[in-house]
Amino acid sequence: MKTMKKLLAVALLIGAASTAQAGKGGSYQAIGSAINSNGQDAIIAEVERTEALECSQCVPLVQNLLTDNRYPVRQVAAWWFAKRPGMQQRIAAQMVTQLQSGDSISVRNAADFLGTTKVYKAIPQLLAAMQHAGLTVDARLALVRAAGAMAHVSANPILVAGMADGDASVRAAAVYAWRDVLSQTSAAPVEQLLGDTSPRVRAAAITVVGAYRDVSVRMQLESMVKTDTDTNVRRDAAWALGKLGSSASREALVLASQDASPIVASVAKASLAALH
Amino acid sequence: MKQHIKSIAIGAALFSMGPLGCNSDSDTGPLGNVDSLIVLQRVARNDDGNVFSYTSYIPGAHLVKLSPPTAAGTKTPICCDQQPELAGMDIQSYDISFDATQIVFSGHSAADSNYGIYLLDLTSSVVTELATDPGRDYVYPIFLPGNKILFETNSVVSNPVTDPMPAQHVDEYERATTAQVGTINIDGTGEELGPRNLSHRVMPDLASDGRVIFTQWDHLGPENQGDLMFMNTDMTDLREAFGKEGDSASNSTLKAREISPGRMIAIATARDRTIQAGAIIDVRLGIPYETNGVLAADQSMSEANATFVNVTPDVPVDNSPSADTIGRYYDAYALDQSEHPQLLVSWADGPVETEVLSAAGLNAEFGIYQYDTTTYERHPIMQDPGMWDIFARPLEAHTAPAITASELDNTLGQEALIGSMNVYTSTLHQFAPGSVYGVRMMEGFSSEEGFPMMFGTTEFEGHAALGVARVASDGSWLAHVPANVPIHVQAVDTFGMSLFNEPVWVSSRAGESRVCGGCHENRAVTTVINPGITQAAAIGPFDAMGEVPRANRQMATADIVNPNLIQADGTGIEKLVGMSWGGADPTQSGTTGAVQQVYDDHCVSCHGADNKAGIPGYTITDAMGNVVLNWTFNLSSDPITVNYGPATDDGPAMQTFSASYFSVAGPDMEAIEMNNLMITGNFKVYMNPEDSAGSLLIQKVNPTQLFPTPNAGVRAFATTPHSTEQGYTELSATEFYKLILAADMGVNYYARENNPHSASY
Repeated sequence: MKTMKKLLAVALLIGAASTAQAGKGGSYQAIGSAINSNGQDAIIAEVERTEALECSQCVPLVQNLLTDNRYPVRQVAAWWFAKRPGMQQRIAAQMVTQLQSGDSISVRNAADFLGTTKVYKAIPQLLAAMQHAGLTVDARLALVRAAGAMAHVSANPILVAGMADGDASVRAAAVYAWRDVLSQTSAAPVEQLLGDTSPRVRAAAITVVGAYRDVSVRMQLESMVKTDTDTNVRRDAAWALGKLGSSASREALVLASQDASPIVASVAKASLAALH
Repeated sequence: MKQHIKSIAIGAALFSMGPLGCNSDSDTGPLGNVDSLIVLQRVARNDDGNVFSYTSYIPGAHLVKLSPPTAAGTKTPICCDQQPELAGMDIQSYDISFDATQIVFSGHSAADSNYGIYLLDLTSSVVTELATDPGRDYVYPIFLPGNKILFETNSVVSNPVTDPMPAQHVDEYERATTAQVGTINIDGTGEELGPRNLSHRVMPDLASDGRVIFTQWDHLGPENQGDLMFMNTDMTDLREAFGKEGDSASNSTLKAREISPGRMIAIATARDRTIQAGAIIDVRLGIPYETNGVLAADQSMSEANATFVNVTPDVPVDNSPSADTIGRYYDAYALDQSEHPQLLVSWADGPVETEVLSAAGLNAEFGIYQYDTTTYERHPIMQDPGMWDIFARPLEAHTAPAITASELDNTLGQEALIGSMNVYTSTLHQFAPGSVYGVRMMEGFSSEEGFPMMFGTTEFEGHAALGVARVASDGSWLAHVPANVPIHVQAVDTFGMSLFNEPVWVSSRAGESRVCGGCHENRAVTTVINPGITQAAAIGPFDAMGEVPRANRQMATADIVNPNLIQADGTGIEKLVGMSWGGADPTQSGTTGAVQQVYDDHCVSCHGADNKAGIPGYTITDAMGNVVLNWTFNLSSDPITVNYGPATDDGPAMQTFSASYFSVAGPDMEAIEMNNLMITGNFKVYMNPEDSAGSLLIQKVNPTQLFPTPNAGVRAFATTPHSTEQGYTELSATEFYKLILAADMGVNYYARENNPHSASY
């Protein structure tokens, strides 16, 4: 009952909710109310609803969200400015400066803005930031995320730098992002990550070479499906060998189909059926 | 529309009644013959996204068996603590096999990066995994007849001829990679991905007629809602089921599950802020009839005949916070087929609205209840604090329906065939006889191709014109289109102007033939086919770039500013594809595009920044009377600065697009109203999205006939052409059609031709 009283009080404060139509019905007040609640979904919904609203009061509110500690909130705030190219360009210029001279949080926020709004001209600055010493993992992840969001081959050097990062989460993110770059033709830079010390990175690399049907790593995958200590790595190697489809992988997949893990064994059996 | 809503005041009747337990009569009730229920337990959360969001990883989910299915029953976790590699599992959804020996579920372990599809053998408790792409998400799996599983995924179907390495659609509004439909054999082989919508497809279920019903996000300009759709189990023959023609209870209709043939129980709610929960509606897709206590509605099924009954009338169907004891429902499952069925529901008390819950630091607590749709009483069955108890289903065998499939035509290769037998047959529009010259097909795309999260101010997605198929004298038309690509169709007149839009995207599999009776014909009426074949079939299909690679479905660079692409014999029109308004950067001076070329060559000498034509402008003021904007019609490519008030610390400017785009597309009127702004003076919007014929600019220039061959002697409107009035050089057939396409394809600024992603950096 105490909980209900709390909820009722909050509901009365917030008042009537706005309509559900996407892109319409938003207001400065609704954004402010959502921000006050600190609810991620509410903030996102209300910022989205002001997609086209000519609302000068909204600008500082949304601009503040560019520094929120949650990526989805920063993303929707950047999206809001993407709909307003003039302001977007001015903020982008500030963000490029932040990339060069800011602390890790500033770099993180700048990278997310530039990536979400696809400021391709900032790719050299993003790459330069990637090479700064002392950035936190969060900042480096954001730089890789920006390159992934742009999905532009010109940003490939950022992803290559990410693949050499000291942190496994950055390396994995860079590997996954490589796959979805538009007009990407090769998984070559990813191949070396098949031998990474982190199973998460190895699994990511396997996913990408499998998606690109990179036959040059077939034997390495066959070895991994049989001997890697990590279950997910063996599972993903089995999947990738199925994508490659070489009959030469039959022996490795037959062995994997008897893996102690039912997860690995089931994927290996399916991949066996995909061999030529 | 015969919509009827049963609105019954229920007051205190919605208060929960006593639990189903030792003292209940459940052994003779709808669960009396049920040994156990399967329930999905997920860790309670508040930020799981809008109704189309499909990934929300928090570890700690379980599948639980409740036996007997009462509040006093024993809860036994059946997944997924039995295998160490499944540690940290979140389970997104599940389904029970027809023989009740297996459960398929979408899961994400702590070691995974995405949701995959797992099979739980209920006899051995062993969990295996299907060989899906580990770098993509696979969600909402359901069993299909024929030992198959259908799912939704952000993996993308490729077309070896036109698009071997596509990117999955990323909705420019919601920013998520879209979920699309696919199937796979139960042994993990034979994965196939279906044709794509431009936005999400989620929450499928299997109907007794063998078709799959699911929620599709219909998003095309102002269309922005979640509607129910049908498709065959082979992912062909998409048909609307409920919601598209304004017959729905709410913005979005979700989680449809069949009660009886033609009748669904579903959740009606807003698109966002409601934690994917809402009111429960009983949807009748056709004319309801009762036989032996079973109320079905599979006769004359069509949107026009569809109705619904709201069985939880006090629950908001928008995103208002719900009231104490009213709450919201996450899902529902019918336990009988009567007019007022007993339901298994997942319900949470309180607002079930994300902002209120966030402010209070709380989560919605969904629990399992039996719900009586006659008395509106809820009987609690199961609720664990801190967990969502959802998707309760009796663990029992059920009949597999027949496999539904369409014969694929191998001669089509990687193309699809679309068309209609008589375009004049329509429930949505009455065409004047002989008024339809042809049907224009336009491809849709979105942010996935590198656009900066928008295409302009009109909220339309990217468009590329694939061509106009001529309608034969019997009203028929046919065209080859690229498979798996969202297509938007318009009936057009001899000037190329849209007469009517099909307000949704449609898509087809490679080799699929989708020939409708008409242009959104009455689905409940049998289409009478003339003896033999249609004239369009005899003539042969129009080639709407069916085998043209995606990268080439745009104008050649040299053609973009060429004013004379269309020749006297009508050839060359296929070179007009995307209507780039200006350059890739709308804030750069001196750029041009397919549309700006027309203004530069014919208009700016009078309608430039100096306004030699002397057109009166308009003023936007705020509620305090402060001038926000003074604007005068200007068709130049100059970047404009619109000041809507103090913007940031370093300057007030809100600079937006080129002058010509702002002049023609205009500011968003809803934005003006919502901000309490007032417009005085000569305010006009010169181009209406999807409505070239109703657009002032098109009327002013008064296009000449385009089809079947250009004829400068025939005008679209009876008014004097602007060129005659003002003495400028008349537009060419190419230029007229550029303006018409710009309007009818949504008045976008961006097209593939000016995609900023296309440059090197």
